[in-house]
Amino acid sequence: MGKAETRKVGYTMIHTENLSKTYRMGDVEVQALRDVNLEIKDGEFIAIKGPSGSGKSTLLNLIGCLDTPTSGAVFIDGIDTGKLSENGLAEIRREKIGFIFQQFNLVHTLNAIENVALPMFFAGVGREARIKRADELLAKVGLGDRMYHKPSELSGGQQQRVAIARALSNDPEIVIGDEPTGNVDTETGNAIMVLLEGLNREGRTIIVVTHDAEIAAHAGRTKRMRDGRVLD
Amino acid sequence: MRDKFLLAFRSIRERKARSILTVLGIAVGIAAIVSLMSVGYGMEEAITGELTGMADMISVMPGEIRAHSYVEKGSFTDRDVSDLQRIGGIKDISTMTYDAAEVEYRNKRAPIFVIGRDTKELESFYVVPVGLKEGRWLRENDYKACVIGDRVANDFFDEVIHVNDKLVINGDKFIVVGVFEKGDMLYSNDVDPHIFLTLRAAKEVLQTDEIKYIIVRVYEIDEAEGIAEEIEEVINDNHGLDDFAMAMTMGSMIEMMGDIFNIIRGVLVGIAAIALIVASIGIMNTMLMSVMERTHEIGVMKAIGAKSSDVLSLFLLESSMVSLVGGVAGCVVGVIVAKVLSFLGSTASGLEIAAIVKPEVLLAGIAVAVIVGVLSGFYPARKASKMSPVEAVRYG
Ligand SMILES: Nc1ncnc2c1ncn2[C@@H]1O[C@H](COP(=O)(O)OP(=O)(O)OP(=O)(O)O)[C@@H](O)[C@H]1O
Ligand SMILES: [Mg+2]
Repeated sequence: MGKAETRKVGYTMIHTENLSKTYRMGDVEVQALRDVNLEIKDGEFIAIKGPSGSGKSTLLNLIGCLDTPTSGAVFIDGIDTGKLSENGLAEIRREKIGFIFQQFNLVHTLNAIENVALPMFFAGVGREARIKRADELLAKVGLGDRMYHKPSELSGGQQQRVAIARALSNDPEIVIGDEPTGNVDTETGNAIMVLLEGLNREGRTIIVVTHDAEIAAHAGRTKRMRDGRVLD
Repeated sequence: MRDKFLLAFRSIRERKARSILTVLGIAVGIAAIVSLMSVGYGMEEAITGELTGMADMISVMPGEIRAHSYVEKGSFTDRDVSDLQRIGGIKDISTMTYDAAEVEYRNKRAPIFVIGRDTKELESFYVVPVGLKEGRWLRENDYKACVIGDRVANDFFDEVIHVNDKLVINGDKFIVVGVFEKGDMLYSNDVDPHIFLTLRAAKEVLQTDEIKYIIVRVYEIDEAEGIAEEIEEVINDNHGLDDFAMAMTMGSMIEMMGDIFNIIRGVLVGIAAIALIVASIGIMNTMLMSVMERTHEIGVMKAIGAKSSDVLSLFLLESSMVSLVGGVAGCVVGVIVAKVLSFLGSTASGLEIAAIVKPEVLLAGIAVAVIVGVLSGFYPARKASKMSPVEAVRYG
């Protein structure tokens, strides 16, 4: 997992320039994000807090290349993502970023190990290698004994662990979680944060949105958002 | 590639209910095409088959068809018949006479058409296809015997007539030796309302030597047209008229019925077109539904790094597998339905209809299933794969 460790200390992994997103629904415009300038260093663990509707998910989706901004830019590992093609963006999502959703979003027809192997399938990794790595990752998140269970046969916390293992599938430098603890109980939430801390110690850059101050305490730095802006 | 197949297969299997519904939706449409076409071909074949069985026949009538109705100009003579025997290529000549007669049964009278003709000819003409319900067919040496059609037996008199009952025809007593089955579409007008006698008895009871109809059978069907022209010439010469006789080959009768065949074909094509449209709409609907409800899944796949083309190829593979299974199942069901329909149709109409399953119809059915299935799966899959991952994930 040493990709990140070869970089200089203080290297800027992610930064945004006047990042804005406006949703338009008929005549109504919602400015979900206004001129956000944010810099995240390589190996940082940053938590983002803020009231509901302040634009946290919008920001994460843009950083995670799941959506495109109305104006401004997102740079990831020095790459201006606005200049990438559809397939270029898919490659960033696949290789550089692991995204963890509040709703887990596992593919419910596939079992745990297949879900974890799916990003490697899209990366063209061979079958044997996929299974070997998915096996290791599930063991790492503590689900070595649940590999062949369907999502519907797993608890919320277990599903989220599968989702974390899936996010690590292609060994990304960045792991993004949008309220990864939002749908699990406090205890499981803490366990998940401990897992994320471990990933951070491996050198990965972690960005997590949370409402919970206790959860945010796991992070090295906390940013607050309000009305589409990141406060200092 | 093998992995993709496995993944597509997994997805089909895990969504059992939805996949079965989709396969069913496709199968129903294809079954409709296959069964309707097969029954249609069977019907066409049944009708042409009945007619081609009579292809060696030339009908000779003393008159002509004017403005769609037959105008009689007299009758043939024994000399006409003996002159015809000198024309080459003729296998057999039989004459027929017919007229309305007054028939009495248990004090009830009715005018009925009486037909007299060579018994062997009549037998191959009517008894073989229609069949007798009671009794036996006429023999050449029968004298005061008759065989009656279904409506004569059941409808024309107050009481039903059976074998061994006696009828009075123009004052002469006849014994009923046989009763016909009810004739099917092609035969009901020719058999059901008539009484059949030997030629000798008919001439006597109708008090006529007139020959109203000559049926000629030829050895070579190819020569029938030429022989028919010769027949007309010979008889016209005898009667000193240009257009006394009309000799029609079965071929030209079929041609006259060409309209009917064009209508049958038109109906067939129409049925196929409707079945095709119905099937296509059904397939589109099921495919659209089954792919659209997976927009969320497409979004998830894209969010974890799948390219649009990855997602699209997975879904196309899946829909072509489902469509193929649906198409094949539809063909199987369609063939079974066609057999059942043609059996029911035969029973109802009395016409022997055997469904004809043409391989090209089966292939076309499967092709329609796969092409329509894949195309209608392609559209929503492409639409979903073009959405931003957030948008697609939010869906559903
Ligand atoms: N697809 C969308 N269409 C229209 N408006 C949207 C859409 N997504 C978000 N918004 C709006 O943008 C604003 C920011 O939404 P966002 O989801 O980023 O908030 P959030 O901080 O994540 O809130 P929460 O804590 O409830 O998840 C909100 O006012 C929301 O209503
Ligand atoms: Mg949110």
